[in-house]
Amino acid sequence: MFGYIIINKGDMKFKEFDIYHSYYCGLCDTLKRQYGKVGQLSLSYDMTFLVMLLSSLYEPDTELSQVKCIAHPFEKHTVRKNEFSNYAADMNVMFTYYKCRDDWEDDRKLSRLAYGRLLRRAYRSVCISYGAKAKKIDGLMRELSLEEKRENQDIDYMAGLFGEIMGEILAAKADEWQESLRTMGVFLGKFIYLMDAYEDVEEDIRQHRYNPLKRRFESPDFEEEIKTILTMMMAECCREFEKLPIIENAEILRNILYSGIWYRYEMVHQKREKGREEDDA
Amino acid sequence: MRDPYDVLGISRGATEEEIKKAYKALSRKYHPDANINNPHKEEAEEKFKEIQQAYQQIMKERTEGYSYQSGGYQGAYGGSGGSSGSSYGGYGDFGGFGGFGGFGDFGSAWGGTGTGYEEDNYLRAAGNYVRNGYYKEARTVLDGMEESRRNARWYYYSALTHAGLGNQVSALEHARRAAAMEPGNRDYSNLVYQFENGGSWYRQRQYTYGQPYNVGNSLCLKLCIANLICNLCCGGGGLCCGGGPYYRY
Repeated sequence: MFGYIIINKGDMKFKEFDIYHSYYCGLCDTLKRQYGKVGQLSLSYDMTFLVMLLSSLYEPDTELSQVKCIAHPFEKHTVRKNEFSNYAADMNVMFTYYKCRDDWEDDRKLSRLAYGRLLRRAYRSVCISYGAKAKKIDGLMRELSLEEKRENQDIDYMAGLFGEIMGEILAAKADEWQESLRTMGVFLGKFIYLMDAYEDVEEDIRQHRYNPLKRRFESPDFEEEIKTILTMMMAECCREFEKLPIIENAEILRNILYSGIWYRYEMVHQKREKGREEDDA
Repeated sequence: MRDPYDVLGISRGATEEEIKKAYKALSRKYHPDANINNPHKEEAEEKFKEIQQAYQQIMKERTEGYSYQSGGYQGAYGGSGGSSGSSYGGYGDFGGFGGFGGFGDFGSAWGGTGTGYEEDNYLRAAGNYVRNGYYKEARTVLDGMEESRRNARWYYYSALTHAGLGNQVSALEHARRAAAMEPGNRDYSNLVYQFENGGSWYRQRQYTYGQPYNVGNSLCLKLCIANLICNLCCGGGGLCCGGGPYYRY
């Protein structure tokens, strides 16, 4: 999906990694069972975070099993599955479908058109099960792509739209935690949207594509400015996270929210700085 | 309302983990789903609501400390939190300002500034809206004022309005603009400081992890940690250490 919500493996205990991995495998298996190989292809770490966040908050009955799979044919490993694996699988399929639609409309990528077509049936079944939620996300995705075509440079507004989408995805149940999860999602979504724009800004300028950071990129303080903004978003997201009664797997989730989420930022930032030094030399 | 700590059966010095554990145990016991066949299920439901409220109140009090208590994050974690604000010196009374996002408490951000700035009726109206949390109305008034009337005060109100509406980036920009237009004004420079440092507890926690992506550069990281430790000792959120924009590495 976006590939930003990942762990910092170097800072994770082996035991924690095994648990994380078991939820990842559980999601993979759920995608395969519900949507076949086509669905399985959409597997992402981002949604693994969602499964773990919701599982740790609600502590539902979780099925533990040992399997072998194609990716690891010789060793058995643990799989954890629960109601949130199903929920995350559904959200993953829906979101991937929208991404394909967007990529096709924007860039005319044939591969995305083809994959989107394959996902269409799965997508329709998700829409039926999640009536209002699916409708809201669909509306927001359409508005986002419309505003991108209009070259809207108001980054609060644009990031806010994506934030609302993530808020809708995180708020899985209509209950007492709904608002906290939604707030977390809003800020996580803003972070992802801006991070994505940050990563693509040079390429987008070259290709004359939309990017909400185009104007800011000219500024000499660009790098510092973006880091401040991204930090603000994650601080708000985590402020809400810390309020949730999460004990189980809290350290794994913190590893993602405080560290792993910065992996791509650091990668892009360091490469860009290096490129600049070379240019200067 | 009963003391929320009593409701959860814990002491005021309880760590966050203890609070969460107490809450989980009680909420499991009284959750409506677990009491469908209970003849006293209404009482259980009442109790469940009470537990819920108590938990949310405690967490709200503790997390609001994050924003203005330099290093307070760790403090609250270790269970020694509570005396929030005092460590911040002059900034203490910015309380509850929660950086961005959830705030709802701009009231305290209003120093004793006179209204001498606000000869303009529109500006005064906008100020009143902001003070009372009517951000949408404030935005409408502010946006209706033409460019030539947009002074430092305008940018200050605009920053607060944007923050209230969840527009973090514009809030920061307008606060900086106000501060640049009128460098001597404490309210303006304080607002910029708050916005820029609202995430300092987050950054401090972030540095307990290694760099997620690292090719060399470890000296810089060490310097950042040194800076962090220095800030903790001085207890001044970087004030006495000459301000530590940690992100400069």
